[in-house]
Amino acid sequence: MAAPSAAGMGRRLRAWLPRIMPVRWSRYNPSYLEPEVKKESYQKPLEEQTEEEREQMELKAVRPIKAAPPTLSSSVFSDPMISKFTNMMMKSGNKVLARSLMSQTLEAIKRKQLEKYHKAPENEKETIECNPYVIFHQALKNCQPIIGLSNITKGGKTYQVPVPLTDNRKRFLAMKWLITECRENKHRRTLMPEKLSQELLLAFNNEGPVIKRKHVLHKMAEANRAYAHFRWW
Amino acid sequence: TLRLICTTTAVQRKNVGASGPEKYTEAFIKKQIEEFNLGKRHLANMMGEDPETFTQEDIDRAIAYLFPSGLFDKQARPVMKHPTEIFPEQRKIQWGEDGRPFHFLFYTGKQSYYSLMHETYEKLLNVQKHQDQLIAQDLPLQKEKRNLAGSRWLTKIELEEMLLEKVSDDDYSRFIQLLQKLVALPCADIEEKYIQKFCKEVPAQLKTVVIEPLQYDERGVAFSTGEGKRKTASATAVVYDNGTGKITVNGTDILHYFPVLQDREQLLFPFQFLGRIGKHDMVCTVSGGGRSAQAGAIRLASAKALRSFVTEKEVEFMRQAGLLTVDPRVKERKKPGQEGPRRKFTWKKR
Repeated sequence: MAAPSAAGMGRRLRAWLPRIMPVRWSRYNPSYLEPEVKKESYQKPLEEQTEEEREQMELKAVRPIKAAPPTLSSSVFSDPMISKFTNMMMKSGNKVLARSLMSQTLEAIKRKQLEKYHKAPENEKETIECNPYVIFHQALKNCQPIIGLSNITKGGKTYQVPVPLTDNRKRFLAMKWLITECRENKHRRTLMPEKLSQELLLAFNNEGPVIKRKHVLHKMAEANRAYAHFRWW
Repeated sequence: TLRLICTTTAVQRKNVGASGPEKYTEAFIKKQIEEFNLGKRHLANMMGEDPETFTQEDIDRAIAYLFPSGLFDKQARPVMKHPTEIFPEQRKIQWGEDGRPFHFLFYTGKQSYYSLMHETYEKLLNVQKHQDQLIAQDLPLQKEKRNLAGSRWLTKIELEEMLLEKVSDDDYSRFIQLLQKLVALPCADIEEKYIQKFCKEVPAQLKTVVIEPLQYDERGVAFSTGEGKRKTASATAVVYDNGTGKITVNGTDILHYFPVLQDREQLLFPFQFLGRIGKHDMVCTVSGGGRSAQAGAIRLASAKALRSFVTEKEVEFMRQAGLLTVDPRVKERKKPGQEGPRRKFTWKKR
């Protein structure tokens, strides 16, 4: 089969034949690299770059590059985390609605923080964070679990084994917990942006149901510490 | 199985040289070449041309004139070419008259591949010995880095052509791993000539595309056009210089045509990346596709048009930001026996 080795262009690609053929494929040739959208990385002069960055630049000059997706842009307003969160909130491909909910959430956060800011006494005014993007990022970081549990079947019984998580998985779990929490545990009349902004502010201060869920997971992992040796990877 | 969507013609061309030992003897090929040369001189005489300066193109034209054929398949029409082009290069018979094979690895089945592996490993051992000698004499090891980005290894097809026998994927990957191991050693410069046989130069991606020069309209304003496609939408954009940043799509302003913020952000992306937001005017026409596809098509068209206004370095930056690549993603087809491209029918137990 010529499939994996016809894609063996370029020395960086390990000519490795997978044991099991993957079903997930993409329309791009595997030699295509990811695009770099931020303007600042192109304005860095040559002297400041390290060895690795120079090699990266040389490689990029030779290999073709994938097209930038429609959610990514070089403007200051596009943030990859926010886009990921919007995509996860989206239902049946209604990106317009998801995007508007997200912007309403950020607006609601800003309003609440500004209210708090104007009511606070002089010495506390500096501690109150008003930037909704900073609050969003910090809240997500606070919600990320450090360790996860995975079901491993051994000798007929299924055990919950503590397992390290990759960065992507941590971010995904944090976002998923936030969204499920906001969809299920709210009063019938409250709208999504209001509830989401409430949850994000609580998570920013390390309170709230999502943080509790993270702590519960950590406690379970601590309790099942004995089975950690079941993991083989 | 892995579906190969993006192929080159090289992949689809069958490697006839590797299909087995030769079916034509050497004497037969020699005779064919003599007959071809004789026939060429006769043809030149017939056409009234000089036999010495009768090129292949003249032969093709003469044959097309003498034997006109209405067949659709070009390869079925009468052809007169040099025998080396018609009878593909194949391996000669590998054994002598007594039936004894010439090569000592003949009975492995892949004699050229294994002999190649043996040779490369010998070079590796050589380099290691040289390294040990240098260490014994306390001399510093040479550490000049080869130019990694400018060259690539031979593909499997090219290797098959070189060895004139079939190479499997596993074998090919093992060979490449061995070559990488050889190159990774510090004193690999000794065997540079041997390694060069398996390297190919890759030109920088930028050189493959031609940037068109600016055009000037009646009022003296510089403008340039670009075309873009995305999914089923196709767009043409005309970018004018000395503008105020007004963008018109199909006769209407972008604020009316694209009510969604994301699409407008995409339209402005190339301009914002180059820092030329208020400096250009744009007039575009777009048809087909949906709202997002049309925005992507216009983005590609405007990026292509902006190439003429901008230095080569900035064109390279635009390419690395993914603005100049055509997005190949299209809707996946529905398969029979499934409800959609991936979704299967509901599984019912009975």
